[in-house]
Amino acid sequence: MTESNGTLIKMEGVKKVFYTDEVETHALSEIHLEIHKGQYISIAGPSGCGKSTLLSILGLLDSPTGGDYWLNGQPVSKLTISERTRIRNREIGFIFQAFNLIGDLTVYENVELPLTYRGTGSAERKQKVQHALERVGMAHRVRHSPSQLSGGQQQRVAVARALVGDPLILMADEPTGNLDSKNGEAVMELLRDLHRNGATICMVTHDERYANFAERNIHLFDGRIVEETREVSVGA
Amino acid sequence: MDTIRQDVRYAMRMLWKHRFATFICAGALALGIGANTATFSIAEAFLLHPVPLEDVDRVVALVDSQPQRGVQNTPVAPATYLEWQAQANSFEQLGAYNWDGVNFTGDGTPQKIQDFLITPNFFSVLGVQPQLGRDFLAEEGQPGRNQELILSYGLWQRRYASDPKILGKTVKVDGKPFTIVGVMAKGFDYPMSAEAWLPMAFDAKARVERDNRQLWVLGRLKPGVSIAQAKAEMLTITRRQADTYPDSYKNFQLRAMPLGEYAAGDLNRQYTLLLLGAVAFVLLIACADVANVQFARVSGRQKELAVRAAMGASRTRIVRQLLIESILLSLFGAVLGVFLAQWMLTLILSHMPPDIARYIAGWKTIHLDLGAFLFTFVVALASGIISGIAPSLMSSRSNISETLKESGRGASSGRARHRLRGALVVAEVAMSLILLVGAGLLVKGFHALVSVNQRYQPETLLTLNLDLPAVQYPEKSARVTFHERLLESLATIPKVKSAAMATTVPYANGGGASGARFSIEKRPLAKREDAREAIMETISPSYFTLMNIGLRDGRFLSDADGDKTQPVAVISGSLAKHYFADENPLGKKVRVGEDDSNPWLTVVGIVDDVHYNWLQKEDIPTLYRPYRQNPPHYTTVVLRTDGDPKVFVSAVRAKFAGIDRELPIYEVKPLDVVIHESTVGIGYVAAMMAAIGVIALVLASVGVYGVMSYSVSERTHEMGIRMAMGATGASIHRLVIGNGMLLTGIGIAIGLPLAFMLARALSSLLFGVSATDPFAFIGLPLILGSIAALASYLPARRAVRVDPLTALRYE
Repeated sequence: MTESNGTLIKMEGVKKVFYTDEVETHALSEIHLEIHKGQYISIAGPSGCGKSTLLSILGLLDSPTGGDYWLNGQPVSKLTISERTRIRNREIGFIFQAFNLIGDLTVYENVELPLTYRGTGSAERKQKVQHALERVGMAHRVRHSPSQLSGGQQQRVAVARALVGDPLILMADEPTGNLDSKNGEAVMELLRDLHRNGATICMVTHDERYANFAERNIHLFDGRIVEETREVSVGA
Repeated sequence: MDTIRQDVRYAMRMLWKHRFATFICAGALALGIGANTATFSIAEAFLLHPVPLEDVDRVVALVDSQPQRGVQNTPVAPATYLEWQAQANSFEQLGAYNWDGVNFTGDGTPQKIQDFLITPNFFSVLGVQPQLGRDFLAEEGQPGRNQELILSYGLWQRRYASDPKILGKTVKVDGKPFTIVGVMAKGFDYPMSAEAWLPMAFDAKARVERDNRQLWVLGRLKPGVSIAQAKAEMLTITRRQADTYPDSYKNFQLRAMPLGEYAAGDLNRQYTLLLLGAVAFVLLIACADVANVQFARVSGRQKELAVRAAMGASRTRIVRQLLIESILLSLFGAVLGVFLAQWMLTLILSHMPPDIARYIAGWKTIHLDLGAFLFTFVVALASGIISGIAPSLMSSRSNISETLKESGRGASSGRARHRLRGALVVAEVAMSLILLVGAGLLVKGFHALVSVNQRYQPETLLTLNLDLPAVQYPEKSARVTFHERLLESLATIPKVKSAAMATTVPYANGGGASGARFSIEKRPLAKREDAREAIMETISPSYFTLMNIGLRDGRFLSDADGDKTQPVAVISGSLAKHYFADENPLGKKVRVGEDDSNPWLTVVGIVDDVHYNWLQKEDIPTLYRPYRQNPPHYTTVVLRTDGDPKVFVSAVRAKFAGIDRELPIYEVKPLDVVIHESTVGIGYVAAMMAAIGVIALVLASVGVYGVMSYSVSERTHEMGIRMAMGATGASIHRLVIGNGMLLTGIGIAIGLPLAFMLARALSSLLFGVSATDPFAFIGLPLILGSIAALASYLPARRAVRVDPLTALRYE
């Protein structure tokens, strides 16, 4: 699935400008970035520096205003909306700060969602959902609704949902932002375990402690990459 | 299928979760769908199956019309029909019928029967045969051989107790012996209301008549021939006839149409289509209401939809899911609507007098059938799509990444959504105004109809019809004597104030009053087609006083106007105005018809005009003659009673029996019942339109309330800022109500010209309807505006109560 050199994501000169009435806001400028398969990368920076915008573009939730972006060797700028949707469904797993579980669906149905949209058969869906929930330790809560779970449990379910379709990369946007430190660390441990088992992860965080869980740290400031460290940290 | 099942399951969960909104929406849709289903059932019966016969599509009605006079259907004369029969190649056969009424005597109670004279092949043209016995033979269409009759199933049951040995029995028809040769199948009563059929025979004189128009012609198309082809051939034939006999055919134009269309009638079709249009509007208004609720609901689900999109749900998939929700909602509304439709139909059917229902083509076939259920299903699907498509598309367009942010609101589509919701309210207001104006005008017109008849004081008048058979009463003197004895005898019934007779009283016999040509002395016609026409009434002198018809000039007819005195006539105001505009008609001489053998009648009085039927827009010139100078066979007798006329019926029957035991009287009814039966159809339309108008008003108000209410809840933060900045309650009121009234005002501005067009169409249809009615065009918009103001006031009141501190935390 990946390029022969293992590059999963490649960005060159990506920029994002928001136009509001007569005001132009440059959220991202000249972003050059490569992510290889199996890497665990964190994007850090102060509030408003463009972290989430970058993650949205990486996750094909948004489009850049300029520059080039290749995902798995494929230029994404020419993709149609339905192709982007298909890639999001098959190749990207999302974990959000606010969990973003659907309150009117059960845990099982929430996790099942990407497979449903993929058209996976019911038996296979069941088996994959069960496996994903077991991986995050939530298999015993399949019939619960999200409101019956703690924040940490909800985020575990969200991780299961991101994993269930075996995506090429997990995109995590402040996955601990709505959690207390204990639950936050538990989620980070979970991500590290996933990475150790081969998952490629791209995580946005403003918390230095959690950024150090990643093997590559990118620092954004005013929409530009100002620093990159490649040392593998052990974490707190 | 699996994913659709999932969507359906989730949709049901969502509908149940928001069950209050679900029930409100389903209720609104039930009103719209129920009204549509009920009206469709009526339309289906009236327009699609007015003649419930097999293979009726191949039967074509051939009638003349007079476009210049606005007359849609005119019968043709025997010579015309016989030429068509000889020359037309498009038809297997042509047949004809003519309305008739006969007295059955000699085998029980004398009874007036609604029969039709038919050509012997008439049933073959229709593709039916008697259930018992045989059809007419060709030779029974010869003069002198036409002494057979065929009974309807109903008459056979009622009068002859379904006697299986009825065939061959002789009955007296207008005093002449006729042999029963057949009984038609149950339910067959074409032409409408037929109780018996007699063979029609043309004598030598009739066969060359081109102006005595009395035949309604039907033809069965040959296989492979279309109506258009048949019509083209018939037009060639009629053009040839018009070239040869211009006096008889000028201004007439052939109409060829399927029998169903002809039987349904133009008026029936017009009003049915009007109602179909009106209920379609109601449904659209309901859909707009539901769409607004859906907008509000999906606005609250932006995040959920964004999550689904992020998980790989395509736009189509999201739209599909939301549409499934709105379609399920519509189907729920449809289930309720079917019950509502059944209730409406029961109400409609139960209130129609049987004497009227039997004349309405298709009435007895009105019911909720498979077609109605299919229609309901399709309407429900369409409603679900109409009400759900805009909210679904708008929601699926929102910015996923923005919406997924913690405080993201998906604001990119918010403005467009507001505009669309505003547009929906504008459309609702415009449509409801059109319906209100239509309903208001119809109700007003109906009220005018009821009012115009109050001058007769119909609640104390008893009317009845009789037909003196030519066999028993061939002489004028015998008819004069009969009527004199009858009126004297009826006047002696206690509490009967007076008795009179006329050819036709207002609204009797479906409001049909026969017109005839007349001449004015020393004023020959320049062109034959400019013939003067008037309703010809033969009355007893007390008729005017009894009916409260006022004298304008001259004198009433009197008992002194007899056979030996100068022939006289009284004319209506409209006849005087139309034909004697610049001169005094009193003393002028007129003559019925253009035959020199008819006597000149001296005009001795002018009376007020009479309103004969609900279709009549303008006064119709009428000429009254004294019965002693022109004793009729057919008469309507009128009695002014002191109290409820119905209690006098048995006494009246006894008096008749005392004069002629064999003579049946029929249509014995108080005049108010006659008027009610005659106007019940338009009364139904007016009542249905009124109900539709009220429903539209309620739905539009709900729409305005819903939008303003949602707008206030969405703008809570803004309201808080405004109040923190010092906005007073009054200014917040003005802001919210102003927005609501702006939308209402735009809706009214769009609706008014469209309503005016509808009013113009209605004013040409109905008495008492003005296209510039102030109530319709000033009063109703004000009512609509006031209710919309109230619907805006309630959310405004809530907005004023916003606590600025709470509102500012709302973000």
